[in-house]
Amino acid sequence: MVDRKAIMNIAKLFMDESETDDVTEQMDNIIQFANEIQNVDVKGSDFDNINGLVNVLRSDEVTNSVDRELILKNANDTKDGYFCIKKSK
Amino acid sequence: MKYELVCGLETHVELSTKTKIFCGCRSHFGSEPNTNCCPICIGLPGTLPKLNKEVVRYAIMAGLATHCEINLISKMDRKNYVYPDLPKAYQISQYDLPLCKNGYVELESGKKIRINRIHIEEDAGKLVHKGQDVLIDYNRGGVPLIEIVTHPDISSSDEAKEYIEKLQSIMRYIDVSDCKMQEGSMRCDVNISVRHEGETKLGVRTEIKNMNSITFITKAIDYETERQIDAIQSGGEIYQETLRYSEETNSTESMRNKENANDYRYFGEPDLITIKTNKEDLEKYKTQLPEFADGRCKRYVNDYDISKSDAKLLVKYKKVSDFFEKSIKGIDKPKTVSNLILGVIFRYIENESDKQEFNIKVLPEDLNKLVLLMQENKININLAKKALGQMMETGKKVSEVIPDDYLQEISGEEIKEICKKVIKSNDSAVKDYLSGKDKALKFLLGQVMKETKGKADAKFIEKILAGEIKNA
Repeated sequence: MVDRKAIMNIAKLFMDESETDDVTEQMDNIIQFANEIQNVDVKGSDFDNINGLVNVLRSDEVTNSVDRELILKNANDTKDGYFCIKKSK
Repeated sequence: MKYELVCGLETHVELSTKTKIFCGCRSHFGSEPNTNCCPICIGLPGTLPKLNKEVVRYAIMAGLATHCEINLISKMDRKNYVYPDLPKAYQISQYDLPLCKNGYVELESGKKIRINRIHIEEDAGKLVHKGQDVLIDYNRGGVPLIEIVTHPDISSSDEAKEYIEKLQSIMRYIDVSDCKMQEGSMRCDVNISVRHEGETKLGVRTEIKNMNSITFITKAIDYETERQIDAIQSGGEIYQETLRYSEETNSTESMRNKENANDYRYFGEPDLITIKTNKEDLEKYKTQLPEFADGRCKRYVNDYDISKSDAKLLVKYKKVSDFFEKSIKGIDKPKTVSNLILGVIFRYIENESDKQEFNIKVLPEDLNKLVLLMQENKININLAKKALGQMMETGKKVSEVIPDDYLQEISGEEIKEICKKVIKSNDSAVKDYLSGKDKALKFLLGQVMKETKGKADAKFIEKILAGEIKNA
């Protein structure tokens, strides 16, 4: 059984008690499926390098950064050019 | 029962590349907040990181400089954790295939502090705490870092200090980082445990995070060692936990314990591909390594007859050491050059970071010219010092601060004549000298120096004076 509270906390899920049993069952199914995938024999397969490419590198040259206004555009709150969040209690 | 400290360090060094590790934003320190940012380094979905070639080269140089083996095949991994300084909620780092492994830094005692690994990773953003607000600046997010991890080979705070200073020196000599702890371009996590002397099993360790001053690192190690010993001796237990050191109270406090320790769920970074290094490149890099501070220091002491403490000061700053080496071409006594640098030039440079930069008005060729004049007995040490001081202040050249008539040779005969003249006109001083007052000779010497405008060598004059007085 998954630790419902821990997962809801990590995933920032909010729901009332009546929904949680259903969701827990669904999550259990998902985790079971993931466990099945882990049983697949992948010995000899290199998943870190499936296309055989190596050393795709860039040279150390400055390219333009994006205007700060655009960088901050999607932030919930900003202050003096910073992203701003509230301290957790 | 005696206890001993077992300590290991993880040192983060910010690389001084022009741009960040995965995008072309500038990695410059001190810019206005969030002005060196782009969709890649603020972690917007759908962006693709691309590794900076120089980061790989710098890290390999750091590895070679600390006697590491280089992994010819290396890769990047994701380290997952949720914190506001990390916009992607994962840091791209290296897990099982770091670029460098199994090196060491040798201390003066000959003891080797073994390096377990050096890997490359991106720095996180910077958080500024202001009242109830947390302000986030992502300029530092994506700045390239190397993390240098030692084995737990350090057994005192002094050794920790020496190791960090050595590491700083090495990184500066290969020019991969300025290692300015106060600006955060070098930071240490300190792992500490204690055990009975002679015991081989490791004790439970605590980790002090994010230290950026050598002084405080040594204080923190001493405090934490005592704390652990006290705890054990009074029948308590040490818990594996992460600590924060408070500079105000000189004590450590718990940040988090093992129960909620991070599980980083590392896995291979799918957006980046294998880093492959070939042996030819490695050989080329090896030839680019400079002679390091220790080697230079030994050479200065053995070949140039410079005292160990002076030699250490010269090699402490690579640019000073380079300056010294350029200044001694054709000089019989490099020690004179060393004395002028440490005794005169250093007087004009106040702080450590300016010595590190060593941006001075005098060129090595100028100092060389000045010392050559001394070597040819055209000027004496006092005049050389005065002239060098003027050069430091004004940026003038040797020919501008030493008038032409000084540079005309003064012969032994001329000096003899002047000595005779001075003896004739200073009867009482001569009498004093003859009656055993050695000081009187110094007075006469001063008179001759005045007449020769400081061009003649003091020892030579004294010899002539003493001889002439005897013959008179």
